[in-house]
Amino acid sequence: MKGLLYCSFILCLGLGSCNQIETTDAHDTDAPTEQAALSEMSLYNLESEWMNQENEPVKLPQLQGKVQLVAMVYTSCTYACPRIVADLKRIEASIEKYKNDEVGIVLVTMDPERDTPEKLKAFAEENKLDAGRWTLLTSDEGNIQELAVLLSMKYKNSGNGEIAHSNIITVLNPAGEIMHQQEGLGKDPDETVKSIEGLLKQL
Amino acid sequence: MILQRLLLLMLLIGVCCKVQAQKSLPKNMVHVKGGTFVPLYGSDSTPVKVQSFLLDVYPVTNSEYLAFVSKYPKWRKSAVKKIFADENYLRGWASDLSLGANATKINNSPVVNVSWFAAKAYCDCQGKRLAKVEEWEFAALASETKANAANDAKFYQRSIEWYSQPNPTYLPPVQKSFRNYYGVYGMIGLVWEWTQNFNSAMVVGESRADVTMDRQLFCGSGSNGAKDVKNYVAFMRYAFRSSLKSNYTVANLGFRCAKSI
Repeated sequence: MKGLLYCSFILCLGLGSCNQIETTDAHDTDAPTEQAALSEMSLYNLESEWMNQENEPVKLPQLQGKVQLVAMVYTSCTYACPRIVADLKRIEASIEKYKNDEVGIVLVTMDPERDTPEKLKAFAEENKLDAGRWTLLTSDEGNIQELAVLLSMKYKNSGNGEIAHSNIITVLNPAGEIMHQQEGLGKDPDETVKSIEGLLKQL
Repeated sequence: MILQRLLLLMLLIGVCCKVQAQKSLPKNMVHVKGGTFVPLYGSDSTPVKVQSFLLDVYPVTNSEYLAFVSKYPKWRKSAVKKIFADENYLRGWASDLSLGANATKINNSPVVNVSWFAAKAYCDCQGKRLAKVEEWEFAALASETKANAANDAKFYQRSIEWYSQPNPTYLPPVQKSFRNYYGVYGMIGLVWEWTQNFNSAMVVGESRADVTMDRQLFCGSGSNGAKDVKNYVAFMRYAFRSSLKSNYTVANLGFRCAKSI
């Protein structure tokens, strides 16, 4: 039964890829302004559906309204991923004074097959990630790839359980636009922290 | 019990569909029999396995793409969001739904100046997908007569000559291009093509930076170096792909769709 449910979940996600004809413009509706009019360069223009570590459905525009730090990982990674989480924690420590509704951290898996919401939850607990601050997301491969290419991530599943990938921490402004990217591991987080602080001053 | 029957039924339907798909090929697609090949650019020399798949005979043409944007307004020139396609999207077209004065010349030419997102959406809407890099390269190994012409010096020479040609003012109709062993046109000699996982090549953007490539950027196999730079043609394709971003549109970059079996 669980298998069936999982199948239908994947099916639902898969169907979103070819969007039906949209004749009405989002700007013309009376929807609240915060939901309408995403800027052209907002990552939140992606219409895909995701699941978080609590097994709740998430659409990317829900991440709007605060600064988000985004990185891609896979939880069975032994080398770079623990280090990128460590890098994120370093940044988190320097922005401790900001509330959870001002800054969030988003980890997106590159390995949807193994990283189920349950697995992501276990990973969050193992790594003592504050649930108020951190969101872990999975979706189907196509949706993950769409987000990955927008983050300029390169990755390749070698098939032997390892995924070769670039390590990038991205700072998104509250509108979902890329404001800064930190590439590589163990980098001095100063610039990233400055970028976050700069954005928060504007709020 | 009911559940079991349901499952069995689903399974049967699944099997039937599969058999049917193998029997009747969708229009203008060919069956590419899977196999293994050693990518001409990769980290290790282990052959890559490619499953059998279906591939479009032709790259997508301007007129086909026009039909697509007529049906899906969000992909029209004036409507597309910049994050999904840059400002040169469909640059050669006169307007949203017009190819312009040269329509008759470019109707059957490959559509170019399309982004990865646009190409992906087109294939999705046909019930297809973009070809993976490995599938594309596997199918591109073919000459007119051989499925794998990797060791055919003449074929290689011809390929490399094409890559050194400037682009013509009007791209030729897709039917006039090179037809290979599988009956697929234009894999060489027409346009570059988007692939589903164009972002899988582990070459860092700038070649200058590659010299002292920051290994820290990568996890897993670390870095993928050039395996067989002897094949400069494949090397160029990999290098070109690795320089692309998903919303880029380029004057000689088109696409075709594929389908899993």
